[in-house]
This record gives sequence, structure tokens and C-alpha cells, in this order.
Amino acid sequence: MTDLQAEPTGSAGRRTSTGAGRVLIAVYGIFALAATARASVQLPTRYDEAPLAYLLSAVAGLIYIVATITLARDTRASRRVALIAIIIELIGVVTVGTLSVVFPEAFPRATVWSLYGIGYGFVPLVLPILGLAWLWHTRPDAPSPESVAS
Amino acid sequence: MIDALAYAVVALAGVAVIWGIVTAIANKPPGKAQLLYAAGVEAVTLVQSIIAVAKIIGGFRPAELATTIGYLIGIVILIPIAWMWANVERNRFSGIVLSVAALAVLAMTLRLLMLWIPAG
Repeated sequence: MTDLQAEPTGSAGRRTSTGAGRVLIAVYGIFALAATARASVQLPTRYDEAPLAYLLSAVAGLIYIVATITLARDTRASRRVALIAIIIELIGVVTVGTLSVVFPEAFPRATVWSLYGIGYGFVPLVLPILGLAWLWHTRPDAPSPESVAS
Repeated sequence: MIDALAYAVVALAGVAVIWGIVTAIANKPPGKAQLLYAAGVEAVTLVQSIIAVAKIIGGFRPAELATTIGYLIGIVILIPIAWMWANVERNRFSGIVLSVAALAVLAMTLRLLMLWIPAG
């Protein structure tokens, strides 16, 4: 937070953690909190009821935490990690969403990704798309001379 | 939980959501009044959580005890974090960050109202 003047990605216009990126990171932070808190309540106390759903909540929480931190860190390396995390997130919400429609009996308890995130106003479905769009929008177009090796 | 207080939080947070969107559309960072208002919403939210925790300590047992306590704690950290996050870089998006936090407070309060049923 103190290195706002630094330019880890080479150009001020390509930062993931400024402008609209701050809103994206805020939403990711809330979902990191929500999914992790949900899993940390459910996994130790009621694992047997729906192990798959509760493990998925934990995985979702982990992915949201990684995306929040890497988007906020905003370095070349963290962009790459953010991209991978957000792609996994998109695959996760689409897969779990579809499975929870086709095989509802496999998901007796809800996760953040059940029914494409209907319990959270479908934000879990929109979020990875916005995340990828933001990474694309802030991409480094041409390789610029790096003052700091990453 | 006190129903009237919860609906007051919902209404106050709803105004904070709209306020953030309005300043973003006007392309302005959140002003002093807006930041003070967010602090006020936080204060009322904090009072709500303290009363609810006191009721739980006093013997009330909601059906989903752990989840309810998680919500009561989580709901009070959102606005302070958003406040700090919005102040590091002050522009139109700072207001949207406050709106996002207020929207989460609103949704969590509604969820708490649903969770606030005695254990069978």
C-alpha cells in the first residue's frame, strides 16, 4: 500500500490494483471472507452431511483469497497467479453450477458456487468474467524494459 | 437481533450504497459527510452485533449458532476495511468500494434476521 508510486508492471496504466481494480479487489475480498468463513464453520462441525459441498466451499475460499492477494500485489508474477486462480474459479463455478442443476442430490448443502452462485446474487458467476476482463484491460501490451527483474 | 434495529441497519446501509454510486457517477471521491455517514452505519452495525452477542451470552440459542456468530463478527469488519481501502486511493471508485461494503452489510443483516430463529 505504500508503494503506490512504484511501477511493478512497467506502466501506471496497466496496474491491476488501481481505479476500478480496487472495487474488484474489494468484492474478491468479501467473497474470500464469506467462502472461507463458511467452510471453516461447516468442515469441522458437519463434514459428514455433505463432504463434497463443504470441501468445495473451502476450495472456493482459497481461490478467492489467492485472487484477492495477487490482484492487490500487482506484480508481473502475481498477475500470472491471478490469471490461473480466476480461470480455475470460472471453471469451478460453471462446473459446480451445472452439476448442482443436473445432480442436485450430490449437493445436499449449498456452496458459494451452487446453482451458479444464486445464493449470492450470481456474483460468483460474474466475478471471474470481470476478473479476466480486468486482467485483459490492464495487460502489458508490449514488453517494456524492466528496471526490476521479477 | 432486534427486528427494528436490523431494518434500520438495512435502510442506513441502503442509503450508503446509493450514496457511493451517486458520487461515482458524479466522478467525485467520497466527501467528508459520506465518510462520516459510513462511520455512523458502522456504529449502528456494531451496536446490533453487540446486542445480538449479549443475547446469545444471555441464553438465546439460534439454530445455526456458529454461522450466526461468524456473521455477527464478519459484518462489523467490512466497513472499516472498505474505509481504509477507499482512502488509500481517492477517486470515484473509492465510493463504489464503500457501496460494495455497505451492500454486504445489508445482505448479511437480512441473512442474520433469517438465522435468528431459536434452535429446535
